[in-house]
Amino acid sequence: MTIIFLLIGISLLVALMFLAGFMWAVRSGQYDDDYTPSVRMLFDDEE
Amino acid sequence: MPSILEAPATRLACTHCGDDCPPEPLRLAGQPFCCAGCRTVYELLDANNLCAYYKLDERPGLKVKEVELPGRFDYLDSEAVQAQLLAFRSDTRASLTLAIPQMHCTSCIWLLEHLPRLNPGIVEARVQFLRKEITISYLLAVTSLREVVQLLASVGYEPQITLAELGAQPHRASRTLYYQLGLAAFAFGNVMLLALPDYFSFVEELQVGFGRFFGYISLVLALPVLLYSAQTFFRSAWQGLRQRYINLDFPISLGLTSLFSVSTFEVLTGSGPGYFDSFTGLVFFMLIGKWVQQRTYDALRFDRDFTSYFPVAVTRLTPTGEQSISVKELQVGHRIRVRHQEVVPADAVLLRGAGQLDYSFVSGESTPVARASGELVYAGGRQLGDAVELEVVREVSQGYLTQLWNNPAFAKEASHNSLETYANRVGRYFVALTLVLALGTLAYWAGHDASKMWRAFTSVLVIACPCALSLATPFALGAALRTLGRHKLYLKNAAVVETLGRADTLVFDKTGTLTDTAQAEVHYHGRPLTEAEKQLIATAAAQSTHPLSQRLAQELGSAALSLFMCREVPGQGVEAAAEGGLLVRLGAAAFAGHGVSQPASPRPTAKPTTAAAPPEAPETRVYVALNGEPTGYFTFHNVYRPALAALLARLGRRYRLAVLSGDTDAERPRLQALFGPEAALHFRQSPADKLAYIAAERARGHAVVMIGDGLNDAGALRAADAGIALTDTLTNFSPACDAILDASEFGRLATFLGFSRACLRVVLATFVLSFCYNGVGLALAVQGRFTPIVSAILMPISSLSVMIVATLLVRLAARRHHL
Repeated sequence: MTIIFLLIGISLLVALMFLAGFMWAVRSGQYDDDYTPSVRMLFDDEE
Repeated sequence: MPSILEAPATRLACTHCGDDCPPEPLRLAGQPFCCAGCRTVYELLDANNLCAYYKLDERPGLKVKEVELPGRFDYLDSEAVQAQLLAFRSDTRASLTLAIPQMHCTSCIWLLEHLPRLNPGIVEARVQFLRKEITISYLLAVTSLREVVQLLASVGYEPQITLAELGAQPHRASRTLYYQLGLAAFAFGNVMLLALPDYFSFVEELQVGFGRFFGYISLVLALPVLLYSAQTFFRSAWQGLRQRYINLDFPISLGLTSLFSVSTFEVLTGSGPGYFDSFTGLVFFMLIGKWVQQRTYDALRFDRDFTSYFPVAVTRLTPTGEQSISVKELQVGHRIRVRHQEVVPADAVLLRGAGQLDYSFVSGESTPVARASGELVYAGGRQLGDAVELEVVREVSQGYLTQLWNNPAFAKEASHNSLETYANRVGRYFVALTLVLALGTLAYWAGHDASKMWRAFTSVLVIACPCALSLATPFALGAALRTLGRHKLYLKNAAVVETLGRADTLVFDKTGTLTDTAQAEVHYHGRPLTEAEKQLIATAAAQSTHPLSQRLAQELGSAALSLFMCREVPGQGVEAAAEGGLLVRLGAAAFAGHGVSQPASPRPTAKPTTAAAPPEAPETRVYVALNGEPTGYFTFHNVYRPALAALLARLGRRYRLAVLSGDTDAERPRLQALFGPEAALHFRQSPADKLAYIAAERARGHAVVMIGDGLNDAGALRAADAGIALTDTLTNFSPACDAILDASEFGRLATFLGFSRACLRVVLATFVLSFCYNGVGLALAVQGRFTPIVSAILMPISSLSVMIVATLLVRLAARRHHL
């Protein structure tokens, strides 16, 4: 059952990676405005 | 020259802004427009293939009212101003964020993000819709800041460049809450996973072998949550304590601290698994509450400094020529030039030119006040007509408006008014109750079973943590704010809903609040006019942008004549000739040849707006002369808003009503009939009188809501428990009130107040719900049977159900009030 130590360690590591990903997303400004992009993607770029 | 077209049978909506078109709309490519400004914008967009603007939303445009002025944005070329506004600058590129309060729909986003097509120097334009901000990057070699701002203004989105922003950097999105939320979610999920074996007996052997290991990991995961994510609650509680004030965050902090300490103790001594899952879960849920609160606040952010209304730069006249300086550098004795549509930055004496000052921003009076050379001009007035020269007599910081503002009597006791919410008051009783219960439990178990003593004591502290309470308010009132916002009542924050719901006294201002200045009654005095003459007058008046002319044109409203000649003398009047040869002059007495009756004053006398104005000026007049011969004059009487009688009938049943008016009591009988015999009517009230009246009412224990407009009412608006500013144009905010109500929705005020009361009941209902959970928890806690598994079930359920119930009940209340 000592494998559990390893498994928990790995699962925590994966979770930490997700946390880091989230932090990066916040830092890069992806959460600054959560309304405009939803509208912006609907604009057609006709010339 | 106006275009000549046949009069349409029905009124058309302007393609650009959706306003009613005049009887003879301007046209372009078959589309009707209400004014030249709107048509110009359409032309510009059409030429650049940007007409998708009109397809995304119906008639999205903003009326372009302001006449384009040469040199209005010249100050933006100044290095000092640029240094403060630009967020980034290299040798080739610069970028900045501008506030554009006018933006309101999808079309706005689309057009603003397509600015690069209108000006190739703009590299990128990104809108942050909820904050009503735009971030623009432009190439220094191709364009300049002034051109960028000019472009925005020309399409109807003039950015709000303000003193306030010159002092401080523009608002930056706070990301802290997201970090805290992410961290709490991460810890919550993982701790829950580790705690799971503890809840199920079939994995007991797992718990025996790994319990301590899991406990330690949970401790490590929970520690950053305590230190970082939960920081907000501890800080708020500490701030409250320092002001000798117990807010809701205090019992929350108490609960969180005891929860964490018990868990740490249990893990370190190996006596149990601890409550780390409950702890992290609680912080996570409460942060969600904070996040909802913040989002609501962001969406409704209108809390702007009054200095926003002052100009940023002024044109100073020096012996060597004109010089653009920052308002902050303005000193007594400086000579300045104020052009058409510019705001007078400081109290000053008029040296040269005809002053036509529109104080509508200050007092709500829409009629311009005339000032001759040598007279004093107060800060805050907007000059209409020709440029005038002024000499500053008082520095900006001592100006009339600033003085009004800075008066300590006007400052709202922030700690009292904004924090004294139900939740906080409940919080105080909570603390007392919790401590009594906890100590009682401690004393009881000390006598009976000392082993259970500490466990019972701490679990009482934990279960009494009023986290569900802290969630009820943001969710219920946030939903209420959004509902009201959809109906054009914008509240500063959630606490205002409570204040509105608690109010028992409504105080109204008269001018511009009860009366509708745009609907002023127009009467003609003088020799009778023929139909042809009326037509000519209407056509001539329609050519002018002056509010009185517009009102006159609307009143006469007959079909347009073709004009042979038309010219407007700013501040004086309009002169026009029909093709038949009939010549008309409209405007000031002197201009229309009525020299005798109204000496010295170049424009009709306005109602008193400041103490310095003559106290008795009953009506506003526009004089008429036909072919050089004076024929008569039009008078403008204010009328009450159409919905007023019905509204007052509804309000009178529940509220004490009062009117505070700066005018004479000529209207007393009419108002008394409208308001009923019990209403208090006070006339000839100065701003200070209004303030004193409201303070006295509050001192007598009444919860007062003041409904008024403008800065002159600002003192009263602030002094009241809640101040509602009524505006005709939402972009024309009155600063520092608690709520802004669109004038068109004035008739529904009673509904809004009723809805606020309903929301308050919803909050109380959710309080009761969360007390039920706390009651169950406490019953277990005092018996020492509050185990981690009970906590892990009870805590999330109570938080989630409070969130859901609060939102649903507010929706239900909205439906019942037909909102």
